[in-house]
Amino acid sequence: MSQPTSIAFESKSTFLQRHSSWMIQTAAIIAPFILFGIFLTFYEVNPIELYSSMVATTFGDLYGFGEVLLKATPFILTGLAAALPAKAGLVNVGGEGQLAIGALFATWFAIFYLDQMPALIGIPIMLLAGALGGAAWASVVAVLKVKGKLNETITSVLLNYVAVFIVGFFVHGMLKDPNSFNWPFSPEISYSLRLPVINGTRLHIGFVIAIVLAVAVWFILSKTRLGYRIRVLGSNRLAAERAGMNINRMYFWVLLAAGAIAGIAGMIEIAGIEGRLRATVGTNFGYLGFLAAMMAWNNPLRLMATAFLLGMISVAGNKLEIFSGLPSSSVNILMALVLFFILGSGKLVKR
Amino acid sequence: MKSTSTWKKSSQSIILLLVAVMLLLAGCSQPSNPANTGTNSNSEGTGGGNAQSSDAVPGVGGSAVGFIFVGTKDDYGYNQAAYLGSVAVEEAYPDLKVLRAENVPESAEAERVMEQMIQEGAKIIFPTSYGHLEPALNVAKRHPDVLFYHQGGLKTAENLGTYFGTIWEPVYLAGVAAGKMSQSGKLGFIVSVPIPQVLLNINAFTLGARSVNPEATTNVVFTGSWCDPGQQANAANSLIDSGVDLLSLHQDCMKTVVETAERSGVMTVGYHADASELAPNGWVTGSEWNWGELFVDMVKVGTAGEFKGSQYDGKYRGTLADDVVKLSPFGANVPSDVVSYVEQQKAALLSGELNPFAGPIKDQSGNVKIEEGQELTVEELESTDYLVEGVIGTIPQ
Amino acid sequence: MIADILTGAIRSGTSVMLASQGELVSERAGVINLGTEGSMLCGALGGFAVTVWSGNPWLGTVAGGLCGLLISLIHAFLVISCGANQLATGLTIMFFGMGVTAFFGKGFVSQQIVGFNPVPIPLLSDIPYLGKILFNHDPLTYLSMLLVPMLWYLIFRTRLGIILRAAGEREEVLFASGINPRLVRYLAVLAGGFLAGIGGAQLSIAYTHSWVENMVAGRGVVAVALVIFASWKPVQAMLGAYLFGAAQALQLTVQQQGLAISPYFLFMVPYVLTLVALLIVERRKQSQTPEALGKVLAGSG
Repeated sequence: MSQPTSIAFESKSTFLQRHSSWMIQTAAIIAPFILFGIFLTFYEVNPIELYSSMVATTFGDLYGFGEVLLKATPFILTGLAAALPAKAGLVNVGGEGQLAIGALFATWFAIFYLDQMPALIGIPIMLLAGALGGAAWASVVAVLKVKGKLNETITSVLLNYVAVFIVGFFVHGMLKDPNSFNWPFSPEISYSLRLPVINGTRLHIGFVIAIVLAVAVWFILSKTRLGYRIRVLGSNRLAAERAGMNINRMYFWVLLAAGAIAGIAGMIEIAGIEGRLRATVGTNFGYLGFLAAMMAWNNPLRLMATAFLLGMISVAGNKLEIFSGLPSSSVNILMALVLFFILGSGKLVKR
Repeated sequence: MKSTSTWKKSSQSIILLLVAVMLLLAGCSQPSNPANTGTNSNSEGTGGGNAQSSDAVPGVGGSAVGFIFVGTKDDYGYNQAAYLGSVAVEEAYPDLKVLRAENVPESAEAERVMEQMIQEGAKIIFPTSYGHLEPALNVAKRHPDVLFYHQGGLKTAENLGTYFGTIWEPVYLAGVAAGKMSQSGKLGFIVSVPIPQVLLNINAFTLGARSVNPEATTNVVFTGSWCDPGQQANAANSLIDSGVDLLSLHQDCMKTVVETAERSGVMTVGYHADASELAPNGWVTGSEWNWGELFVDMVKVGTAGEFKGSQYDGKYRGTLADDVVKLSPFGANVPSDVVSYVEQQKAALLSGELNPFAGPIKDQSGNVKIEEGQELTVEELESTDYLVEGVIGTIPQ
Repeated sequence: MIADILTGAIRSGTSVMLASQGELVSERAGVINLGTEGSMLCGALGGFAVTVWSGNPWLGTVAGGLCGLLISLIHAFLVISCGANQLATGLTIMFFGMGVTAFFGKGFVSQQIVGFNPVPIPLLSDIPYLGKILFNHDPLTYLSMLLVPMLWYLIFRTRLGIILRAAGEREEVLFASGINPRLVRYLAVLAGGFLAGIGGAQLSIAYTHSWVENMVAGRGVVAVALVIFASWKPVQAMLGAYLFGAAQALQLTVQQQGLAISPYFLFMVPYVLTLVALLIVERRKQSQTPEALGKVLAGSG
């Protein structure tokens, strides 16, 4: 993230800015909930009741907490797939498709090669397969970027649609479960390949993988020479060129790494909760991850928090509908409001 | 390399992290293997929820009934039909709260929604889309005291029965009407994705049409989505341009197709609901669901604790005779001889005299798929993976 | 058959084309708006709702445009006044549009309207071959065809166009002549939202006569891609949109031939074709990107 072009707020003293920063940030988080609450009262829903039940289900018991973490896990990973390239000055909106192809590869390996494998060997291989799938899909974007000079934002979005059709092709064809009466999904992967879960929840070890990857990406970006080079490239391409970096090679590998992380998200969806591949795997997870990354100013550590918040709102969406009969899409409004405020306030707090 | 030391450091830390992950992987509990998924699984929960003893009678003592839908209830289609069923339950049992969730994806997300409904006091849950079956089986395993009625599934469990309607019966009859009405013998059929229910309907429709016009063909177009009006309009126009004079469909919404056909002077055969008011000139007939009475009875059986051994314990299929599926009213422009012929066929179907899927039935490439005298089971019918002779279109293999 | 495909191209390409013309105006001023999808959704619902209430599709069209404009105002405010990231804000607008329209659109799903119908133009529609392709459409489609040369003239031949382009290329020129480039950007984004809204309305009240949740289904996203394909030129953007429409029509026609090609491959055709077209066009040019936009696309907006 670099400084936007206009200069409106820079005249303010940094002292004031530093002090108001926290207040603005807090206000930016609270304001959308108040706005949405007012909106809800028009529809005879008591917002205080809703929010308290939201908090209660999230923090009330282990199961609810697990559900939110479960929901946040893919957001963290697809968020990383957006945040890492962003540091190099690239915009990867292709997490959606990379996740889907990662899930496809992981399922393919799980069913055709890893069926008899014990967990300790099978799961890591499946993870690598997912990463490979995501990276392979991202490599299309990367090649188009490096060789074809095509903007990666647009290509990655278009390829998301293609990826969904590719998964559709396989679940209707080669990967169709022979024991499910010709319904379009893959057979179930072997139980030894399922990620271990924490007792009393559906939460699986994939959450830990996401955290570890987030910390690793943060570490690489902020503590290593490689990360420094990536950040230089992102903030000043000319300087990077002058320093003799092979920019295209950097772009290529950064995009592949991002794709691999999104692919791991796909693998985790399959091995963690779904157990089988469907054409609808991970719908919108890529976009929500992108937004989580933007909310976190592409900082991998903050990303964990923003992904958690988005997870909490998503889980609350179903609750809202079951409780009050409002359509579940109404939480999209809340989610967008939260994002508007955070994005809008970014200028004021600026890290 | 100048950066060796940094690299060494970071690679060390990455290895450390990986080791930590491996330790966690080893340390955590592997999910218990709930042996044969689906059929007859009675194993205790795979961790999660408040699993209770399996001798509880499923369905009894709840304060609510839950319905989950894959789309929105207003789509005048599949979900609307199921929604009307839930309204019937609401009216029949004022003491039970009806919980609804729309747009529930066919993924593990559905499990959470069902868990939330159980927390809200639901002891009977209707997951109404085929893709909700696997999640429902998982939740059913964790909650032996909750009864699940899944719409359209072919797998069952101790506390999960499936129900569906033999919608291919009215679809066949509508096909008969279409075959009679079409001048060109070229029929169009707009569908979403090649799943068995869809293929079965295409086949039934085509068999119906060819029973009265052996030269009739059905042009099938897949749109890839269940309700994208823009794509539906594209498909309808494309079929109309290529010369079909009657359109039918298997989509979750049909307004656009019916209206586009009407504007182009092409006839329509509907699906899911009666849309005759949208096409006063071109409406022929259609097939509909009628879930209300069935749902009310299913809830009655469930709450009384009589699920075990009832007709719903297993794979219940409501038929034309049961009034679970029905033929829509005929359009004003359908001549009375066509109406009476279709009614006659309907009577033959009801009496068992007529079996639309009586062999020999050949697929597109001429292979005999159903032998003469072969009785098809529910499973065989509902796992159709081919298109019959007379259908023009390709399904992925 | 080719005539059918070309007719289909215009039918299914028009909503995308309107949205891409709008996006083009916005991007010429240096603001990329991925929220076009949201604007189209709002336009589709707003247009449909007003047509239901008033019975007049022309009022509906204007209302659709205004709805698209309103939601793009959020984009303009956040991006231009608050300096928020354009791509993230646009994507958020897309989600916001989905949520808002799903919420308020519930009651309209089953409504019937008297919308626009194809009006064959006398004489012209009788021209063999071309008549059917070009002159048998709904009024909004004709208007959208007229819009393209008008936009071209506006952008490249008028002072207003120079101001618009300067906002995207050299804002110091604008400062020098006493024009506030931020105001220009605001207006460009709003105009873009208005056109995208009309594109959505064309989909709901002219092409399909219905409203359902999320009915735009990615057309807005494609519209944004097409603008880059078109090198920010109206005529090319129109051709791009029709190309996308033709690909849709083509895949449906191929399906009806009964060839042994999986429909899933055919579904991909419009998107892959757009990518290939982008690739071919991009090979030829590099420097035409509006400068301010180049910064955004390079990840620093």
